[in-house]
Amino acid sequence: MVDPEPFIEEAIEEIEAEVGDANAVIALSGGVDSSVSATLAYRAIGDQLTPVYVDTGLMRKGETEEIRETFSFMDSLRIVDAQDRFLDALSGVTDPEEKRHVIGEEFIRVLEREARETGADYLVQGTIYPDRIESEGGIKSHHNVGGLPEVVDFEGIVEPVRDLYKDEVRELARELELESVISERMPFPGPGLAVRVVGEVTREKVEVAREACHVVEEELESYEPWQAFAAVVGKGTGVKGDNRVHGWIVAVRSVDSRDGMTAQAQELDWETLQRIQSRITSQLDNVSRVVYDVTHKPPATIEYE
Amino acid sequence: MTRILVVDNHGQFTHLERRALRDLGVETELVDNDTPPEAIDADGLVLSGGPDIAQIGNCPAYLELDVPVLGICLGMQLMAAELGGAVGSGEYGGYADVDVRILDPEDPLVGSLAPETRVWASHGDEVREVPPGFTRTATSSVCDIEAISDVDRDLYGVQWHPEVAHTERGEEVFENFRAICEK
Repeated sequence: MVDPEPFIEEAIEEIEAEVGDANAVIALSGGVDSSVSATLAYRAIGDQLTPVYVDTGLMRKGETEEIRETFSFMDSLRIVDAQDRFLDALSGVTDPEEKRHVIGEEFIRVLEREARETGADYLVQGTIYPDRIESEGGIKSHHNVGGLPEVVDFEGIVEPVRDLYKDEVRELARELELESVISERMPFPGPGLAVRVVGEVTREKVEVAREACHVVEEELESYEPWQAFAAVVGKGTGVKGDNRVHGWIVAVRSVDSRDGMTAQAQELDWETLQRIQSRITSQLDNVSRVVYDVTHKPPATIEYE
Repeated sequence: MTRILVVDNHGQFTHLERRALRDLGVETELVDNDTPPEAIDADGLVLSGGPDIAQIGNCPAYLELDVPVLGICLGMQLMAAELGGAVGSGEYGGYADVDVRILDPEDPLVGSLAPETRVWASHGDEVREVPPGFTRTATSSVCDIEAISDVDRDLYGVQWHPEVAHTERGEEVFENFRAICEK
């Protein structure tokens, strides 16, 4: 387990030494990894750091507003509305790895533009150890590692928590006294809701995933899952008020884990499952059925793509 | 300080083996499996899992280094294949939770887990025949040969993944292996 105090000291020194008098940007997703990295970088280089939050249109319900509030203490925070840009670029793309690459590419281009405007030569990222391993191993490309385009217009990339695991990053977050909404936040994938929509990403499917994820997170709070969400996995027939509905099939997933490397599907009671089903199918006209995913990791992964 | 290296056979959990050893407080490092055997300086070696027995690099040569070896998943299979046993695809495959029964409570690696332990596994292939000099030390309903030991040569293998968080008492396997390396 990492010893938070000396680690934080060393990380700050390392960032200072690497970035020096230059400016840097960091992409803030609101997750614990990028929040901790941003806080370390902010302590190291202060206003030379510009945190950028990109609203890709693939974020959770209310996420953008939450970020705006939580990080209001950083004057230099920039919120970029890039919804159309991402959703347009994803149009027609169905291969999961291709989706991740498209998002990685768009992401870095947005960041490069922000960097030019703020005169930043360095990119700070919240990459953690398993991100690198899964990308190198060809299991999934994490958009802040394997999804990065070959040519990146930065002088250097700084990854202060690259050797740590998620549970260790949470330790740092507590030591850094970040709000518990950040330090205990559920992991959310870099490509956002795009990987919670199997196949092509459309505005309609993303909206279904977003609303369904919100219901699941609310209903399962008392189970304290490591991660809980919903994904749009296909289409099926249903009947609503005497009308046939060829609607979306929503899969609900809720898992326990320490580090995301292995995961156990949670045992939920029937009543809870039924409440989730009922809320999702009544709130969303275009959903025909809700299923619960009982697969552990392995053999499944936590996210669907 | 005891130094135990983790040989990377490209498994997705390899880094957790390094983490488990690091958390025990031993000196540890990940090394590529094409490291020349003469460059290995260690009191013990862990051979990681991986996707393909054709990508085990110099692992066969590491078995001759006269240091204790713990093979995990593919690491155990390659040990069996190299030393005269046999490996083949399992009838069932082992993924996620498996209840393993310990057959030898005296075994220095897994004996302390007797009589039974809940582990996590991830394998399609398995050891089909125990190599000469080894004994089978654990079994389960999905895989006959869950662990093997050759106490004289200090070569040990487990089919499951003691390094992942969901394996109960996984650290104990690494502690036992450390004791073997320190004896």
